[in-house]
Amino acid sequence: MAVDLANIERAEVSSTGSPVIKIFLRHGSFIVSLLTILTLGLAWEFAKPLGIPGLLRVPSPSTIVTASAELLHSPTFWQACYKSTLRIIAGFSLAQIVGIPLGFVMATNRTIFNSAFPVAETLRPIPPVAWIPISIIFWPTREESTVFIVFLGAFWIVLLNTIGGVSTVDKVYSRAALSLGSNRWHMLRYIIFPAAMPSIVTGMVISMGICWEMVVAAEMIAGDTGLGYLLWQSFEINATAQVLVCMFAIGLAGFLSSAAIRKLGDLLTPWSKKD
Amino acid sequence: MMSDLTFAQHKHGAGEIIVEDISYSIRDRSGRLVELIARCSFRAERGLFTAVVGPSGCGKTTIMNMIAGYHAPDQGKIFLDGVQVKGASWERLMVFQETALFPWMTTLENVVYGPMVRAEKPLPQIRQEAAALLQKFGLAEFKDRYPNELSGGMQRRGELARVLINDPLVLLMDEPFRGLDSMTRQLMQQYLVSLFEEARTTTLFVTSEIDEAIFLADRLVILSGSPATVASVIEVPLPRPRTLDMLSTPDYAHAKTEALEILYAEAVAAFAGGGVVSDLKESFEKIYAS
Repeated sequence: MAVDLANIERAEVSSTGSPVIKIFLRHGSFIVSLLTILTLGLAWEFAKPLGIPGLLRVPSPSTIVTASAELLHSPTFWQACYKSTLRIIAGFSLAQIVGIPLGFVMATNRTIFNSAFPVAETLRPIPPVAWIPISIIFWPTREESTVFIVFLGAFWIVLLNTIGGVSTVDKVYSRAALSLGSNRWHMLRYIIFPAAMPSIVTGMVISMGICWEMVVAAEMIAGDTGLGYLLWQSFEINATAQVLVCMFAIGLAGFLSSAAIRKLGDLLTPWSKKD
Repeated sequence: MMSDLTFAQHKHGAGEIIVEDISYSIRDRSGRLVELIARCSFRAERGLFTAVVGPSGCGKTTIMNMIAGYHAPDQGKIFLDGVQVKGASWERLMVFQETALFPWMTTLENVVYGPMVRAEKPLPQIRQEAAALLQKFGLAEFKDRYPNELSGGMQRRGELARVLINDPLVLLMDEPFRGLDSMTRQLMQQYLVSLFEEARTTTLFVTSEIDEAIFLADRLVILSGSPATVASVIEVPLPRPRTLDMLSTPDYAHAKTEALEILYAEAVAAFAGGGVVSDLKESFEKIYAS
């Protein structure tokens, strides 16, 4: 509704209205979001001198801006971003590579499902963070244990979403395909796989969010580089502004990677595009 | 026009379904056996359009699923041209209740799918035939669209095309026009009639709409309540090609009355069985006795 209205207004304005209004209407939602963030920042900045208890120990936005300017010029920060991103890519991809085929096999083969499902249901409730110590012991390097924790965070979601997607394929599609002469391979390739794809994509999007949670937790405990490690180091040397910059950086990275996965999801399921 | 397309070429001598004394039961939630279909026998003669009519929920879909080969009857047999039906086959293709076009394939890909997986011909040739068929079905412009970008009527035509490109011996249709608005539904009925009259593919069509059944079919198989049995078989005395003005002829009215009387007797029996007050029964009588 809102979008339609905006379009109508834009159409009316474009013939007569001023360029400023035109720009506002075209980028209306973006400007509104920007204004909100700006207002919140200003409120934070000016509320600090009022002595509101919670805000006393937190650095003001202006300090954060200065700190981020410094941090953005330091190679340490970029190295940390790079390392965390690599771990995310590795853990996330591994989870897809293992989780999706395993989900397929479990959902289509009763024997494998019966043997694997109890194991999965026993291990799944253990929070990935609880795996950190054992993972440090088990894997030769810290790098591998961090990637393993990221992998674990994504894996269960990928697995369950794949099983869910595969086992809820509408009977009407498999029946139609069967009548038309499909063999097992055709069924898998042309019917079950695409039918399960929306659910798999949902699993990808959710698991990407979890991946960032896990990489930060693992780096805080077991890391020697990365954004989580940098955040914890900043805290230990009492550089609170830097802590906040790291937090925002992680938030932004999580937002961007989720957006990228959503984009990938749209490419994988072009038929479910809404206009 | 049809002769350049594969699906009109065989026939006249192929495609007769005989349903022989079939019964089918399912278990309800408490594990009790409930008989859905009891000793049903009827036939869909080659080159004829047979409509299976009955109240909704009477097991029509179950019968169609057995003919398509999705499950086997508990008792009795189903034959296609004298050979017992076992499992699904492209010789008996179904147009489903709601659209069963694969949502992840374009209209063209959907139509190409059957011949493609059976690999009877080279793919470019299949594509060409599919495109020609879509042209005939008025979907040429929409061949690269996904099903959810098509209207209800277009989806139905797309599904017909996907089925007919395989040149099935029998066309099974399970309330295919349900859910369409009445205008589109009528257009689809006329479209189906002209398709049938051109190709004469043996067709078995399930519906709960008596008008639809009479307009389309040569023969009505009327099913009774639960468990479903064949209550009567009525020949529709209307000539072909069928036109809409036949809906106002005495022959049409006669066929409709005959069918309704049987269905009405069933409805009353069902009401009486349910112990519903006799007022309702009387009002039914008033409506249908005239």
